[in-house]
Amino acid sequence: MGGKVTCTLGEVKQRADFIIYWGGNPAECHPRHFTKYTIMQKSKFLPRGRKDRTMVLVDIRETKSVKAADIFLQVRPGRDFELITILRAMIKDQHVADEQLAETGLARDVLEDLVARMKSAKFGCMFFGMGLSMTRGKHMNSAALLTLAAEMNAFTKFVAMPMRGHGNVTGADVIMRWQTGYPFGITFNRGYPRYNPGEFSTVDVLVRGDCDAAFIIGADPGATMPQPAIDHLKRIPTIVLDPHVTHTSRLARVHITTAPQGIAAPGTAYRMDELPLPLKPALKSPYPTDEEVVRRINAAIADKPFWLPEGSQPQMLTAQV
Amino acid sequence: MTLQIIDNATCTFCGCVCDDIQLHHDEVRIHKANKACVLGTAWFLNHTAEQKYPAALVDGREASLDEAIEVAATLLHEADMPLVYGMSNTTCEAQKECVAMADLLGGLLDSHTSL
Ligand code: SF4
Repeated sequence: MGGKVTCTLGEVKQRADFIIYWGGNPAECHPRHFTKYTIMQKSKFLPRGRKDRTMVLVDIRETKSVKAADIFLQVRPGRDFELITILRAMIKDQHVADEQLAETGLARDVLEDLVARMKSAKFGCMFFGMGLSMTRGKHMNSAALLTLAAEMNAFTKFVAMPMRGHGNVTGADVIMRWQTGYPFGITFNRGYPRYNPGEFSTVDVLVRGDCDAAFIIGADPGATMPQPAIDHLKRIPTIVLDPHVTHTSRLARVHITTAPQGIAAPGTAYRMDELPLPLKPALKSPYPTDEEVVRRINAAIADKPFWLPEGSQPQMLTAQV
Repeated sequence: MTLQIIDNATCTFCGCVCDDIQLHHDEVRIHKANKACVLGTAWFLNHTAEQKYPAALVDGREASLDEAIEVAATLLHEADMPLVYGMSNTTCEAQKECVAMADLLGGLLDSHTSL
């Protein structure tokens, strides 16, 4: 997601006096988010800490995070996009019809109050979770929220940030963007990277049965993906790298045990605000690291003939003068 | 036995990636993870340096690392449209190698983000 209006968690900690969590449950999924980065911290600009900050939670149901919130807005399931669009209209004083408001399940005065608070904030930050980005509308919801954040900058400083899930998913985005120009859903089948989620994204590829081998690392699709996708993984040769023998390992042709990152394997991981942090492994594992194993597999593949016939490989164009 | 202490260790269980954890550990396991939350503590304490699993499994039987690497390379090389997927629970250094693998194979490359 290049071009988003965002900042680091350090800035949020120092400056954000208005925080919205949208479609996420940090109290249970990111337990130290409140205390370490957002509402509980005291800072030079917000010396009274929690008292200087306002927290709004938008979700379809009451979660444990409600207790931490000053304002809770219960949006009707699947109506996040409509609500964001209404807010985008309201900040610009555009007319919103009653029927449109009714669809979201929220009252006009509640939203007018929210808009007034958003505009009077010094520094607003919206964190959005999978409740927004993985439900009806998907990435269109995220895009709408990021646009709302950008548009709020006509009135005050406002940013948005996705609440990324477990492990180093942010790192995967960043590394793929750096190496290929695209964050996910990539194919190299023409010899250069192309991007098209829906066509090249894993669930779709597996459900359609497009791929004829799979290399799985640091993930357990055998436990999380829809059944037709798992069935396809069973049909094709699957190779798994994981510190544990997982569900996916059990249906795979090859499983290789590796050292767990950050515990026995050194390296780098990205925080959700795209800040890289070094890992400090405490233990020495009897197993090799992921990096070492993938490197060795790559070397073994490189020893075999290249998949494109000689002469048909894409060439770098050099300027001729 | 006295435990060794690591200050400012990094937890990678969730996207917060807290880098202020104090780990108390011996050769085999981590006994205490100060400052970590319940999820982080469980993550640190559940992984040990014991040899719980075989080095590798090929078609369900135990195999050596060298053999598994060779079989993996052959299977991936033989495929017309191999998929490289995952990369959540791994380091950026390994992720970079995964991109190289997809490039080398002319295959698909995708992470958890697309779900
Ligand atoms: S200590 Fe808790 S909040 Fe921090 S990264 Fe680990 S799991 Fe996340």
